[in-house]
Amino acid sequence: MLTFLGRRLGQGVLVLVLISLVTFFLINLAPGGPSAAARFETTAEERAALSKQLGLDLPVTTRYVNWAGDVLHGDFGVTLNGGQPIGPMVRQRLWNTAQLGLSALVLSVVVGVSLGILTAMRRNSPLDHLVNALSTLGMSIPDFWTGIMAILLFSVTWKLLPSSGLYDASGGFSFTGWLRHMILPASVLAFVMLPNLVRFTRSSLLEVLSTDYLRTARAKGVQERQVILKHALRNALVPILAMIGLILPALLSGSVIVESVFGLPGMGRLAVDAALGRDYNTIMAVTLVAGAVVIVTNLLVDMTYSLIDPRIRHD
Amino acid sequence: MKRSGRHIGQLILGSLLLGVGSAQAQGTPDPNGSVTFVTTADPTFNPWSPNAFVESNLLNELLFPGLTRWDKNLKPAPDLATSWRVSNDGLKWTFNLRKGVKWSDGQPFTADDVAFTFNDIVLKKELGANQGATWRNSVTRVNVVNPLTVEFVLSRPWASLPTYLAYYAGILPKHKFAGVTDPWKYTEFNKQNPVGAGPFKIAQVVSGATIKLVRNDNYWAGKPKLQSVTFKVIPDTNAQLAQLLSGDVDLIAVGNPELVDRIKANPNLAIDVATANIYYFVALNQNDPRFQDVRVRQALLYAIDRPAMIKSVLRGYGQVATGPIAPIQKTYYNPNVMKYPYDPAKAKALLAQAGWKPGPDGILQKDGKPLVIQMPTASYQQLVPITLLIQQYWKNIGVKAEIKTMDWNSYIQQVIAKRDYEASAAWWSTPADPDVLPYYDSSAANTGNNIPNYKNPKLDQLLENGRKAKGELARKQIYNEAQAMMARELPYLYLWYPQSITAYNKRLQGMRGITQAADFQYANEWFVTK
Repeated sequence: MLTFLGRRLGQGVLVLVLISLVTFFLINLAPGGPSAAARFETTAEERAALSKQLGLDLPVTTRYVNWAGDVLHGDFGVTLNGGQPIGPMVRQRLWNTAQLGLSALVLSVVVGVSLGILTAMRRNSPLDHLVNALSTLGMSIPDFWTGIMAILLFSVTWKLLPSSGLYDASGGFSFTGWLRHMILPASVLAFVMLPNLVRFTRSSLLEVLSTDYLRTARAKGVQERQVILKHALRNALVPILAMIGLILPALLSGSVIVESVFGLPGMGRLAVDAALGRDYNTIMAVTLVAGAVVIVTNLLVDMTYSLIDPRIRHD
Repeated sequence: MKRSGRHIGQLILGSLLLGVGSAQAQGTPDPNGSVTFVTTADPTFNPWSPNAFVESNLLNELLFPGLTRWDKNLKPAPDLATSWRVSNDGLKWTFNLRKGVKWSDGQPFTADDVAFTFNDIVLKKELGANQGATWRNSVTRVNVVNPLTVEFVLSRPWASLPTYLAYYAGILPKHKFAGVTDPWKYTEFNKQNPVGAGPFKIAQVVSGATIKLVRNDNYWAGKPKLQSVTFKVIPDTNAQLAQLLSGDVDLIAVGNPELVDRIKANPNLAIDVATANIYYFVALNQNDPRFQDVRVRQALLYAIDRPAMIKSVLRGYGQVATGPIAPIQKTYYNPNVMKYPYDPAKAKALLAQAGWKPGPDGILQKDGKPLVIQMPTASYQQLVPITLLIQQYWKNIGVKAEIKTMDWNSYIQQVIAKRDYEASAAWWSTPADPDVLPYYDSSAANTGNNIPNYKNPKLDQLLENGRKAKGELARKQIYNEAQAMMARELPYLYLWYPQSITAYNKRLQGMRGITQAADFQYANEWFVTK
């Protein structure tokens, strides 16, 4: 297990180095520059002065080496468009995105796996067909549209829930305030992931249900509910868990849209703003942190396989 | 949107417009009243910072007053300065400062603060401050005469100085910048805890979420009527509208005129419309010999049906432009200039005179070269539909425009920085002042704000004379002539003066209804009804 862990962590570090290299050089190849030096009314002389201030007059390789050196010392630097320290900002935004992502994940796993089990148990029933149809619909509808419709119904028309932000405008934290703000975006993000989970759980469970050992269990008189919940689900969980591992990057990318629509100050919106403003330092920090999150969560998912299925060993 | 600076913002952010809660103030003012506005991103609390874009401009007006502000006629009125005078040669302006003004931290405001703001921030070339080039163009330095008097020393006369001092030119507290080597990286001030002399001060900043301002009890004009003003960071315009409709915010700018009816249906909301000194244009790169012929420029404007575009793109919220001085400048606007009604036949005739004849494919050509125009645009606000319509109008007279759409920052780099374009649509938003020299002067071609790189010594001289002229009548004569020349010569193809649409909650009262920027200079008068 330790060997496996060491190997995977080493691979993770290598992947992060590659991500940083590719991202750094790609964003510097992109047209346009940081907003701070690219105003409509900025003169050539001012642009030159601002570029010098931002260190953009140095060769790209030199800038990468400087940046990597700072990161190795735990310093992500400051934003190019505002001079804000990036580390604390990313921490705050990551926490906000984690709140959204985990809420959506819990919601989608609970609802998705339950519906998957239900439709597997009642195969070809009207409920199965209905859930299938809704899943297809959910896969087809873009999340920004779902978000806007949710705002239109729940905030504008029925005035039940706030349409944007994370806390009340007073800025003070209260759990009920947080919950009210989180319901809509988390539900929309969950709705994006739900169809995959429902269908995957259903097909995974159906596959397990047709195996010999379950036929034997049924032949021995074990109740169908017991067969599914006690015997089948555990074996079906491994592929479902793999699916959840695959969903995590989608959670991060989905948060980009959902955070923009709902005005949530998370990593997704930070990434969009940084990309539009060509804030190279922030783009790098967001990319690295997002990459690290995906690598670590995938590692955790892989490690839980063996907890669910003792036959899986990481030697 | 966070994209360009001042010229953009006027159409995006909470523009406060003619009549918003003004004149018809009703109901009892709430002594603990609060309002909520929107902004599109985290602001930078320093009006001179190159990082302060549209999301910061209006908010900064609540924190950092200037020496002057605009009155209802858009004339410079006293703010931190009470009076001013200019020397006979026009090279020295003396400003008497208001007594007893305090910064929000209780420190006294003095002439040192004014001198610091200009000498150490605005006029320092290497800092690249907002509007720095405009100021450096005329102002050499600011001298402290005594604690309540400053002297602006100029390299060339600048009659508009008091007007420009009211245009996002807030004064910064010198004592807060002691020991600060890079004012743009002074995060504590720029992002969290600024100190200003305005009617409000920052109480809390939640990055990406809210900025709460509370009344500044030290404000020189007395205690503001509102207890607090909160700005919510909402980049998405649909989300902004949703918050307005659900009552979570009190005022938004309406970018899409189609939404007006939807807003009007809500009994708590009202719509206001106003103009500012904004004009849309098509810049034809004068480094391209084809556009140096005035007949070609005129033809390309005759070919555009501007009233139809105003009807379709702006839903009627605009008026055909005749030049850079908008009708809002009642004293200086000259309507008696050359006009260009939609006339494709005349456009073709003018192009024929200039030697452009239809080729076999219908595209006009001269010396075997077709009239094909590279027209980059940005996927920003209404620039794309405007560009597409112009392409269509030009196609009707045999001119082919090849459009390339890009994001805003790429557009800035290609069109503004590299001047790598042949034609491009954009807009200018300038102070309500007839001095348009920075946008037309030959010295500003290729590197400055003279986007079309237009060079005309006669116009240069006129605009320079306008800066030297003393008195309204003398200036009016010069700028009337300048407007006539610009309408005839078309350094830019003038499209329209847009109107800004603002939707607000009727409980918001006390706004003067001058222009958006001017209204924010009197924020101490705003109130909400119980």
